[in-house]
Parts: sequence; structure tokens; C-alpha cells
Amino acid sequence: MTNSILALCRHAPYGTTFAREGLEAVLACAAMDQIPEVLFINDGVYQLLAQNPQAIAEKSLYRNLQALPMFGVERIYICQRSATERGLALSQLQLTGADVQLLEDPGSLIRRFDQVLSF
Amino acid sequence: MQFTLVVYGAPHSAQGAGTALRFAKAVLASGHSIFRVFFYGDGIHNGSALATPPQDEQDLLRQWQALQQSHQLDLTVCIAAAQRRGVLSESEANRLERPAANLADGFTLAGLGQLAEATALSDRLVSFGG
Amino acid sequence: MTLHIVNQSPHAGSALRDCLNAFAEGDALLLIEDGVYAAQEKAPLELPENDVFVLSADAEARGIAIAPDLTAIDDLRWVTLCVEHTPIVSWFR
Repeated sequence: MTNSILALCRHAPYGTTFAREGLEAVLACAAMDQIPEVLFINDGVYQLLAQNPQAIAEKSLYRNLQALPMFGVERIYICQRSATERGLALSQLQLTGADVQLLEDPGSLIRRFDQVLSF
Repeated sequence: MQFTLVVYGAPHSAQGAGTALRFAKAVLASGHSIFRVFFYGDGIHNGSALATPPQDEQDLLRQWQALQQSHQLDLTVCIAAAQRRGVLSESEANRLERPAANLADGFTLAGLGQLAEATALSDRLVSFGG
Repeated sequence: MTLHIVNQSPHAGSALRDCLNAFAEGDALLLIEDGVYAAQEKAPLELPENDVFVLSADAEARGIAIAPDLTAIDDLRWVTLCVEHTPIVSWFR
């Protein structure tokens, strides 16, 4: 039995590289059949807003996030409190092909896992 | 028990790099082992051979290297994060036609699969923020 | 039970608040680096009643007096805390 893995995505895209490098790590885990579940929390919920970063010469993180379900990463959660605090509705935070769930109690989700990768 | 450490902090920039080193020493002193230290994000700069801090400041690179030697530590620098930021091994520098290599002895460049493996297989994973 | 590790000053950013919003009954909190500024008696955020630990080296380095209801620990005790808890979650920046 290998460990269950949660990726805790706490950072907004573009301002730092945590979001992009976090996604790369999640996809790498999935490619090795260590499929993580993913929790977008705090400023991490901004990763799921549609984006157009051409103006700052960046690749679209949002577009790359669409790869998650294709890599088998299908358990994706959004922290309800984080979204509400930022005035975001679930309808604004969607990924094609994924069952994105709103989560009221992140603490009880986190403790279900053996390992947590923070990004 | 086997620990994996993930280091995001750049040396002499964020305290996390030094904290990770102290924690690694404490893990080994406690009789546990270290499966892997994975340097990611800005943490990849810990693997630069060119850091030369003033003599009256701690030298993180030398200490990582000493620990690597005495405990055969696996010090893995993420190759994708390192290429972006300019830490290259001899073979990478040649392959990418760059003028110099700067990966320090004792460190290995490898892909994110090494992080996936370490996360899946080690007993504990501790991250050190930037 | 989860061990949460926070390394940011409560005055500098939201890491501690974010951590406490994801805290579950029985979890433990460890304050390290600039996180130790939350360990003073007049800190801006209320900490959990039990199992709050402070890395004494970082508190000492910064000249911080640790509130008496918190537990100061050294690096070796930190390792033990990690052995006793799973998962381990770091909250930074």
C-alpha cells in the first residue's frame, strides 16, 4: 500500500510559481499512478477562475489545470469559506470533466491523508 | 521511520533552507532515516555550487554536502525547476548548450517523479516553505 | 491527527489564520521561524487550547517570550511530533 496524497493548493496563479509548480507536481504524481486528490484553498481558489495571461506573457495555468481529469485526478475540492470570502461562486470555479466539490470542513478532509504536499 | 523533506526556500534568502538542514540533522540524530531531500521551486538554488557566503555566516551548501557524505543522503534537485532558474549539471549544460555547469557535488538532478515516489513511499513528508 | 506547521508572522500574512480555519479537533500546531511571533501573550490570533508547540530556537533567536500555556520544543522533539502525527501540513506565505 502506498500513501494517499493530498495536494493543498493555497496560492494564486502568476504572482508566485507555487501554483504552476504545484500543478506540475500533481501531474507527475498522477503519471506515476500516485493519483493525488486536490484541495484549492485560500488564494488557491483563484487558480480556477478563467484567465487570460497573454498580457503578461505567461502560459494559462487555468488551461493547464484542465489536464487534471485527463490524468485521472478527479477528486477536486474547493474550500467553501475561501471562495465565499473572495466573493466567488462555484459556477465561476469549474473544470471540464471534473467533479469539483465545495468543502465546508477542510480540516476533516486533510486528516484523511497520509501525506500532504503544500503548494 | 523514513522521512522525506521538500525544500522550497532558497538558501541565504528564506530561513526555510536552513530550517530544513537543521531538521534533517535532528531526524538523523533521532535514529530515523531520510528517504530523500527534494529541492523544488526556489529551493533548487540550494544545489548551486557557486554560492560563496561570507566566512562569518553559515555555509548551507557545505553542510548539506557533509551530511550527504556521512549519511549517503539522496539530495535531489528538481530538473524542471532548476532549468528554469539556471542550475545545470555538466551533461545538462552540454545538452542545452549553456556556457557553464553549476550543480554542486552530492546533489542529483532528477524529475518530479522522484517527488511522487518519495511522497508515496516514505513514512513522513515535511515541507519547508520559501 | 494532523500536525500543522506555520512559519509566517501573523502580522505579515494569512498563513496562520488559514491554518486555523483548517484545524480539526485533536490536531497539533507548531510555530516555527517568523511563526513564533504568534506565540507571544498578546498575539493577534487566538490559538487552539491544546497541543500548540513553539520551536524554541526560533523564539530565542527573535527575542520572543513564549506564552506560558504553549509548549517550547527543540528540534529533536519536533521530529518526535512528526512521528506522532500524520499527515504533516506546512502553511507558508
